[in-house]
Amino acid sequence: MRLGSGIRRLLRQPATVRAVEREVDDELRFHIETRIDVLVSRGLTRQAAEAQARSEFGDLRAAHAEIAAIDRSRVDRERRADWWEALMQDVRFATRALLGRPSFVVTAALTLGLGIGANAAIFSVVDAVLLKPLPYADPDRLVSVWPDGALMLGTFVQVRDGTHTLDPIAGYAGGAAVSMTGASEPARLVQSEVTSRFFDALGVHAEVGRTFLAGEDQPGRDRVAVLGHALWQQRFGGDRNVIGRSIVVDGIPRTVVGVMPSNFRFPSPAIDFWVPVSFDASRANIGKYWGMSHLNVIGRLRGGVSIAQAQGEMAILIDRSRSSFPWRMPDAWGTGVTVVPLERKVVGDVGPMLMVLFGSVAVVLLIACVNVANLLLGRAAAREREIAIRASLGAGRGRIVRQLLTESVMLGLVGGVLGLVVAAAGVRGLLLLIPPGMPRVTEVAIDMRVLAFTMIAALATGLAFGLAPALRASRPTLQAVFGATRSAGGTLARRRLSELLVVGQIALGVVLVAGAGLMIKSFWRLHQVALGFRPEQVLAADIPIPAFPSDSIVRSRLFFERVIEQARGIPGVRSAAVASVLPFGGASSMQSSFATDIEANPVAPGGAVPMLVRTVVSDDYFRTMGIPVLRGRALNVADRDSAPPVALVDELTARRLWPNADPIGQRFRAVWVKPWITVVGVVGTVKRDSLNSAGEVSVYLPTGINAGFNFPTQMTLVVRAEGDAAMLTSRLRAAVASVDASVPLKAIRPLGELVSNSAARARFTMLLLATFAAVALTLGTVGVYGVVAYAVTRRTREIGVRMALGARASDVLAMVLREGGTLTGIGVALGVAGALATSRVLAGFLFGVTPTDASVFVSVPAVLGIVALGACIIPARRAARVDPVTALRSD
Amino acid sequence: MTVPPAGDLALLQGTLDVLVLKALVFGPRHGYAVATWIRETSGQTLNVEDRALYVALHRLEDRGWVESEWGLSENNRKAKYYQLSARGRAQLRAETTRWTQYAEAVFKVLRAAS
Repeated sequence: MRLGSGIRRLLRQPATVRAVEREVDDELRFHIETRIDVLVSRGLTRQAAEAQARSEFGDLRAAHAEIAAIDRSRVDRERRADWWEALMQDVRFATRALLGRPSFVVTAALTLGLGIGANAAIFSVVDAVLLKPLPYADPDRLVSVWPDGALMLGTFVQVRDGTHTLDPIAGYAGGAAVSMTGASEPARLVQSEVTSRFFDALGVHAEVGRTFLAGEDQPGRDRVAVLGHALWQQRFGGDRNVIGRSIVVDGIPRTVVGVMPSNFRFPSPAIDFWVPVSFDASRANIGKYWGMSHLNVIGRLRGGVSIAQAQGEMAILIDRSRSSFPWRMPDAWGTGVTVVPLERKVVGDVGPMLMVLFGSVAVVLLIACVNVANLLLGRAAAREREIAIRASLGAGRGRIVRQLLTESVMLGLVGGVLGLVVAAAGVRGLLLLIPPGMPRVTEVAIDMRVLAFTMIAALATGLAFGLAPALRASRPTLQAVFGATRSAGGTLARRRLSELLVVGQIALGVVLVAGAGLMIKSFWRLHQVALGFRPEQVLAADIPIPAFPSDSIVRSRLFFERVIEQARGIPGVRSAAVASVLPFGGASSMQSSFATDIEANPVAPGGAVPMLVRTVVSDDYFRTMGIPVLRGRALNVADRDSAPPVALVDELTARRLWPNADPIGQRFRAVWVKPWITVVGVVGTVKRDSLNSAGEVSVYLPTGINAGFNFPTQMTLVVRAEGDAAMLTSRLRAAVASVDASVPLKAIRPLGELVSNSAARARFTMLLLATFAAVALTLGTVGVYGVVAYAVTRRTREIGVRMALGARASDVLAMVLREGGTLTGIGVALGVAGALATSRVLAGFLFGVTPTDASVFVSVPAVLGIVALGACIIPARRAARVDPVTALRSD
Repeated sequence: MTVPPAGDLALLQGTLDVLVLKALVFGPRHGYAVATWIRETSGQTLNVEDRALYVALHRLEDRGWVESEWGLSENNRKAKYYQLSARGRAQLRAETTRWTQYAEAVFKVLRAAS
């Protein structure tokens, strides 16, 4: 009863809430019963005594509650203090233990830092693109209507006026290149046409001024504009008085009414400013209103309305609008209308790719963990004695495991801090590599969420690589205390565990390297694709039409003819031409596609109308691009003005439209115009949008003839150089300026760059996977080397005995290699099985390669096997040089 | 002026704590014994309410001035015994000094002749 409080604390049973309640009960019962005893001894009956004792005490229940509350708070406090004290003790001990082995700590922390950092960097991208909610008010209620399609202006108006599920509903067109003049020097900018409630639908507000008012998308009220933050800063110096100023966009004067905040970048970061779309339903505008102009549609679900309800209503409203078209729409039009969360439309199809990268980088971390776990297992041998002594002094197994885990978690945290440094550098690198068109890239940053992820990853890592060695090491081995320093049993079990880890490591490595191999082969295949044109030595520059007042078609044509003439005159230029769209030029073919009548195959009413993609080109286009004319003739200077309209088609189109007839002389036209266009030649098919897409059905129209289309608002100048094309850029600029100095010219780029940009996403995925695979291979090799080398060191004595008994050096070499080879073989076999099972997730990213490509699945295991065996050679040769005498004398 | 009946003298705030500490100065006691001792020693003048007494004991334990342990009572029942800790003893000394000075001061004032 008179123990010191320190020891009493140690002996105290862990108090629980129930124990507290029980003790208070016992204490009060003792009081009452003692009182009863006293009263009975004074002559009361037991019953009377009990009644009196209780009434003397008063409200027992209330007393119980009050006392128990005091005890509970005390017990809580003491438990927290005990826990904290034990933790601090563990931390102090772990710090001492780690500081004693700086080289181990540095190796482990660097390995973990790389693994954790790479994960944090990839996570920051995954988080920004996939996980963070969209930066708009109440983003869960925002939906995209028909994400794969778009509505004609006329249809949009009918849907807008008819909907009861979406409020507000709005439309926007993706970016279009326009010329801005008026404010200062002319500039080529990107505008997005939006309906008046676009900003309201997203729930965003202007930073300065206002957004559009309802009704500002009506003709007459639509001469307004809202600037993006970057444009406001660059061109207007961030002046708040910009509101009310006039700008001229493609010749149309508009008044600036507002500026958006810097974080608003919808629908893409490329947008410089927004203008209202104009709902002009007049006769003159009918082709645009019902045909050529499209809006992507977003809306906000009304309270209580589900996505399915909205989708049902949209399908009905869109279908109903078909009767308002000035021509009969194909029956299939609008049947696939869906409504999806806006987030899904914004993220698009990058989700699977990011998840593959995230999964791969997690595997790298796993491999890093295995390496550190093996290092720890190696150390555990050296600490056997220390642990056994602690155990014999009364530390329970749980206590020892906790102590060892504290060490590994601290290592993990050091790795996490290093990982943050790696992640900061990694994110910067990723942003340089990231393919154009990746959504929400501007939101990628090392923020609190990434910090939290890194710290959780570090903790989890510490537990992951520490648990197995800690459990292993804490298993009591009495021999360790008493004498035998090299206890056979413990060592064997530990070796088995580390061998198991190495097998797993090799297997994971095979999976990653196989994935990378598939991506590399796919990327190589992409580069083998026949383009249909020769991009070498060709320069391309987008040139907008100058802002002319009226008669623009004729003057635009004249302008481009003079530009071509000037460009041709530059020494070193072999040929020059213009085209409305270049292959890989980034313009979606939907913008230039049109519904067509084919004279030879009239479409039954309601049937699917063929859609052709049109490219307006000048006559020297095919020679400049290196596209062969296969049949008939090329375009020539005579194809202009009043000459009968002619066109060229590519081979694919010829085969599709006129499968059994000679394409030369066939006729077609846009559904809304009269004159037929005659096919005069067939050219080679080119890849248009991307390397892995099938060709579009496309036709080439000469710039000189008006076949019922608006003249393109911009053309791209292409020139083929005699020698080094890059030398020509400044001369090209001068040539364009000499024709019209007011025309803004964006970058002049080699055509090859446009082509390789289209493979940017494939390159990004391939580069990252290859990097991860290289890291995995390196870590795996180090792991194999470490385990084999360690085994040789531990078995020096045994090897010495074998050699003393007559084994030759080559036998020892073979023995070690055989053991290393067995581990490698099992690992590779498991890895191949794993890779075959998982490579299917890559199927969507592969081009020209199946996920089970034989050459990859033969060469990857072979390479890994050779590398892993190579890692065994150094320790094997060391084993072969063991001197039996020294070995036997050691220990 | 009416004199309150014996055994019903209200305790001044904070007085109970020092009485309990004093009750434990002679060795470990359980709650019932503390109550009885206070009542008897004060000549039945101070009648401590049982609930207040137990609250005081537990509060003192919470502050670390007393420690508790289960033991067997004189009537052979399991009882919770309280004893002073070193800090409790110091606290009692300080409180005793303070109380004595206070009481003497009040007494002087009340006995003042002029």
